[in-house]
Order: sequence, then C-alpha cells, then structure tokens
Amino acid sequence: MIKVEERKNPQHNLKTEKFLSPKKLYLSLRQHIGAPSKEIVKIKEKVEEAQILAEPQARVSSYLSSPKKGEVVNIDYFNHPILGRDKMIVIRCDSEEKKYSERKDIAMIPKDELLRVIKEAGVVGMGGAGFPTYIKLQPPQKVDTLIINGCECEPYLAGDYRLMIENMEGIFKGIEIITKIIEPERIFFCVEDNKPEAIKKINSILALKKYNLASTQLVVLKSAYPQGGEKQLIYKVTKRKVPSGGLPLDVGCLVHNVATCFSIYEAVYFSKPLIERIVTFAGDALETPKNIWLKIGTLIPELFERGILKFKKEPKKVIFGGPMMGIALKNLDYPILKTTGGVLFLSDEVDFEEESRCLHCARCVDVCPMGLVPLEFVKYVKNKEYARLNEIFIKDCIECGMCSFACPAKIPIVHYIKIGKLYAVGSK
Amino acid sequence: MQLVVSSSPHLRLKVSTSWLMRQVIISLIPAAVASILLFNWRACFVISLSVLSCVISEEIILRIRKKPSAIKDGSAALTGLLLALTLPPTIKWYEIILGGFVAVFFGKQIFGGLGQNIFNPALVGRAFLAAAYPHDLTTWIKPFHFQAITCATPLALRKFDHIIVPIKDLFLGTTGGCLGETSALCLILGGIYLLVRKVIDWRIPLSMILTVSFISSIFYFLNPLNGSVLFHLFSGGFLLGAFFMATDPVTTPVTKKGRFIFGISCGILIMIIRYFGGLPEGVMYSIIFMNAFVPLINRLTLPKPFGYAKK
Repeated sequence: MIKVEERKNPQHNLKTEKFLSPKKLYLSLRQHIGAPSKEIVKIKEKVEEAQILAEPQARVSSYLSSPKKGEVVNIDYFNHPILGRDKMIVIRCDSEEKKYSERKDIAMIPKDELLRVIKEAGVVGMGGAGFPTYIKLQPPQKVDTLIINGCECEPYLAGDYRLMIENMEGIFKGIEIITKIIEPERIFFCVEDNKPEAIKKINSILALKKYNLASTQLVVLKSAYPQGGEKQLIYKVTKRKVPSGGLPLDVGCLVHNVATCFSIYEAVYFSKPLIERIVTFAGDALETPKNIWLKIGTLIPELFERGILKFKKEPKKVIFGGPMMGIALKNLDYPILKTTGGVLFLSDEVDFEEESRCLHCARCVDVCPMGLVPLEFVKYVKNKEYARLNEIFIKDCIECGMCSFACPAKIPIVHYIKIGKLYAVGSK
Repeated sequence: MQLVVSSSPHLRLKVSTSWLMRQVIISLIPAAVASILLFNWRACFVISLSVLSCVISEEIILRIRKKPSAIKDGSAALTGLLLALTLPPTIKWYEIILGGFVAVFFGKQIFGGLGQNIFNPALVGRAFLAAAYPHDLTTWIKPFHFQAITCATPLALRKFDHIIVPIKDLFLGTTGGCLGETSALCLILGGIYLLVRKVIDWRIPLSMILTVSFISSIFYFLNPLNGSVLFHLFSGGFLLGAFFMATDPVTTPVTKKGRFIFGISCGILIMIIRYFGGLPEGVMYSIIFMNAFVPLINRLTLPKPFGYAKK
C-alpha cells in the first residue's frame, strides 16, 4: 500500500490563533453546492455582524450572513478559487465585535426550530464539499448510523484536529443536536490514530456519559489517505457500500465533519451563523505555519499585509485546500470560503517533473480507492474517445489524486480525468 | 510572483520511471556477477556488448524518429542486460549486436517506444536469435573452464538423456546454460529485492511459481524422471522469466485478476512445452505468447468499481 506522507508537523501542535479584525471581506454567493444565494443587501447599506446578506434561491442553496459589522461597498465579480470568478458581496468592516449570548432553553427547542436555525445560519458541510447541512438533516429515508468525520486525512491540514483539541465539548453539543433531529441508532466518531489528543478527549467525554447520545463508539482508524472520503469511511466503519451514483443515505448513513458539528452548536447555542472557521496556513514558503481562526471572506493578501503570515521564500505554488485535492491559485487575491480547510504556500516541496509515457505499471490501479483503472481514462482522453469513458466508469472517480500521486511516469491523471468528465457528460 | 497552476494532486511519490529501471538493473547485479564468476570474460563481453548495442540502437532510432534521447530512463540498458542474461556465453559478437538491435527496434521502437510495445523487447531479441542462429543459441559450455567445453543444459539432459542434475548445482548455478539463468540463488535474491522495494507486483511471480510447482509435483509423482518441483523451479530460464520478464509492466496485465491469469497461463504453457514440446525449455515462448493476450485479459478482467453490485 502506498502511503501519502502526512506532513502535519508542526501544524498539529500549534494552538489556534485568532484574526477577527479584517479590513475588508469578500463574500462569495456560492460557498456551497447548489444554487447560488441571492443577495438581499444593496451597495452602501450598513450591515450588522450576523445579519443575513443573501438568501437561498432554490431548495439546495444556503443563507449567507455578514461576518462583521460594516458597510457593503461593492457587489461584483471577483476571484473564486473553485469557480474562477463569482459574484461577491464586499464589506468594509468596523472593528467592533459582536457579543453572542448563550441560549438557555436548548432542550426545549423543537426539531423544526432547530432545522430553521441551522438553515438560516448558513451551515454547510465544512469538510470541503459544502453541501447545505439542513438538507442532509432532513433525510427522506431512515438513517440508522451517524458518522462523525474527524479523520482529516489530507496532508498538512490540522484545523479539524485543533478544533477537536480546543472545542471538543462544542462538537459534542453539535452532535447532540444532530442526534435529536435524525435519531440515529448508533454513532461512530471516526478519528485517525495520528490525533492522540483528540482520541483522549473523546474517550473522556464518552466516559462521563454527559450527553444524550445514541450508543456512541469511538473508531480509531490507522492514518491513511483518502480515508476521510465519505464512501471509503462508511465502508471502513459499517462495511456498507454506497452504490455508484448514490448517497450515504442509500445505506442508512449520514456523515458529518467535526467542524460542521461545531458550527451547528454555535448556530443553535449562540445564534451565531457560520461566519468564522479554522484555516491551516502551511508550506515551506512560510516562515511559520499557523492555524488561524478567521472570518470567512478574509482575503489571503490581508494576512500578509497585517503581518499575520510571513514569507520565508517566494512560493512557487499556492494551493487552496489540501495538497491532494486542492486547487492551485494563479495569484494570492482569493478570499477564504466556508469550505476552506487550508491554504498552502509551497516552494521546494512541490515537484515539477514532466509527464512521460505510461508504462502500464498499474500503480494507479493498485491505489485507486474506487477500484477504477485510471490509466485507461488517460488513454481515452488523449485519443479523444470520450464516449468510451462512461463504459469504464469515469463518473465514479472521486478525484482523490492517489493515481497521479503514485504514477512513476508523472502523468497528471486527475487532470485528464477532469477533462474526460467534462466531455463524457452527455455522450452515451 | 510567478505561480505554477496545475491540476491536483500537488504531491508526488518519489518514484520515477528511471528509478524503477535502475532498481531492476540493481536487482540483476547478483545474477550478472554470478555469470562472470561462472563463465569469466565471456560473460563480461556478452553483457557489455549487448547493453551497448541496445543503447546505441535506441539512440540512433530515436534520432531518426526525431524524438528526444531516452538514454536517461535506463530502459534500453535494462533490455540489453536482460537480453545478455538469456544468451549462451559462447555467442558470437555480431549475433549480440544484431540481437540488441532487433530487441530495441522490433521489440520496442516500432510500436512507438517505451510503454507502447506488446512484447517484452529482450525476449523478442532472443526469439529472433533463436530462430536465426539455432545452433549457436543451443551450444552451452561448462562453467569454470577457460577453454570452452560444451555440455547440455539441465533441462536438455532431463528431456533427452533422462539425467536429473542435482538441486545444489541448480541452486548455485554450476551447470551449463545461459549467462543469467543458471544461479537460482542470485535470481531469488534479485527477485526478493524487487518485491521488497515494491518495484514489481507479487501476483505474477507467485502465480507462476505455484502453477509450475503444482503441475511438476503431479508429474514427479507419476515418474521421478520428470524432475522434482525444485528442479523445475530452479532450472532453465524460469526464475529469470518469473521475476524479471513476466513482471515487465509494459507487457503484462494492469488488473489484479489479469495478473493471476497471466501468471497461471505462463506456468501452464511452460510445463506443457517442457513435458510435451520439442524444445527442452519454454519460458521465453510462454511469456511472449501470453504478452499477445494482455489487451484481451485487461478487457475481460476490468474490475467493477466500488459500489457496483457483483454479478
């Protein structure tokens, strides 16, 4: 088995720092999967922290709230790491910080009210996909198993681990709320064995039986990429296979990331929408890596201008997300999204080797967690035989990157697969 | 600030094509050294000339095809080394040069170069020589003799004279045979090295070894003169074929199931030729024959992805 180096040190052991006073925020209307949100504020309008800025336009969409008190100075297209460019609400921020008070009647809140609060808080899956959480919490069929994902298997990233160390009680309170809504028969809390502090915390909380949870079990998995992938995780824990093209629901499972659980907790207990998150900044181009708790919408350059981050040397590659699935940026002018787990600044740690001929060594086949034959995708895309891509199941690829990672010929297999997926759509 | 933009993943395993080729060359060093100890300067000469012939042929062909030099990937040198190890020590110099050229040109470049060929290039070179110079390719000499004293290979002795060479000689390599195939010990060492460094997949060698063991144990039970299990594993080109030829990534199946089918089929063919064929040895032809089936095997064993119901 080929293992991806973790490279989580020293980020794993760095206490989260706070940076909650940005001067400007760029808030994309598409920070989630689904239809873009529709803005309900106008340019020059004054906004309060936690005030709703945009509303969902369709069933699968999300709310967006203002992370800071300030003034809307612009609504225009700006760099979006995933979509290229997207409409964003630009806010000039005041320095004032809002105080949130804790609700005391949590146990009394009915299900519908909980769902409404979570929906209006704009909570989306924070593991990366950004699926609106309130939809996941209204499953059309019975869910018997809730899986809490604290694997964080992408190299470098440490935000989920720090959150678990520093705010485990909050995560459990979030899980309690989810439990109340979907009433699962059992809960698996999955953590990789490279997170000993988190394992200790979970064990001690479970031992106290403080929370009203269904039978909860801590599952410590041997650290491996791509373990945190939903389908892989469900299979490892329950031995159930999510059918191709299907959802975890089809096998009675629901997976929530630990950061999402924490956001649910904040939304319900403090009426605080999803406006902040932990982001890991790492890579050999930085003087020191950092885990920073910051406002969503913060521009990367501001962190350098304000002296929060410093370059040690010029980066050659800047990656939005983890190194295995993240997106390389063309410059630094991008804002943090609800789904951003990390931003990496790599200099010597990237390798720029040229692609050479495929040897058919099948290392890509051996490492593919979905049981695909990636070298065939490359062949068909290069030959422009797009119609045949569906026969070899291109849609099942989760783009985890293991094939390109293992390839001795340095073929950017995922690149070809992404092209292939675009062309395979529509062709039968 | 100039940033590189490319598709994910942004990390790569530090394994490259040339690293793989180097590992295989390193793994063949024990066998090459053994051949020099056994057949002295003749072995040295055959190996050097064969490697040179392959590398120079490839460079010339690439220049004619207006392609960049591929000397660095080490694949031509490896082909030359493998070819040399399948040749008898007394082979003539022009035959080596011709064999190297045929291996690289007809075995590899004519299909488009590295990664595109259907048949194992070294075996193509050897098959050509076996057809063109059958006498020279079946003349063997006793090891440790400065003057060439001809003798037969263990497999030929079994087949035509019903003499079984002791296992100890097969294990150490003190028998007549091709340069690199006589010492089972050295080939096993090389094979283990490749498996430990994860250069080759275990499925093909294991299934070949098990198949040959199974068939030869039945035949040994019927008649001890058929040769024991160890006799068949250690004699001829079997280990060289199982560890170094049938594991060539380019010319073997990419699917796991396919590799088992490939290994088992090679094992069966080898034993059919050894027991019932006109030739004493059949490793080379078995592997070449199975190489031709690789695209078909790949297609028929395409795995069902995760999440598909088994039929």
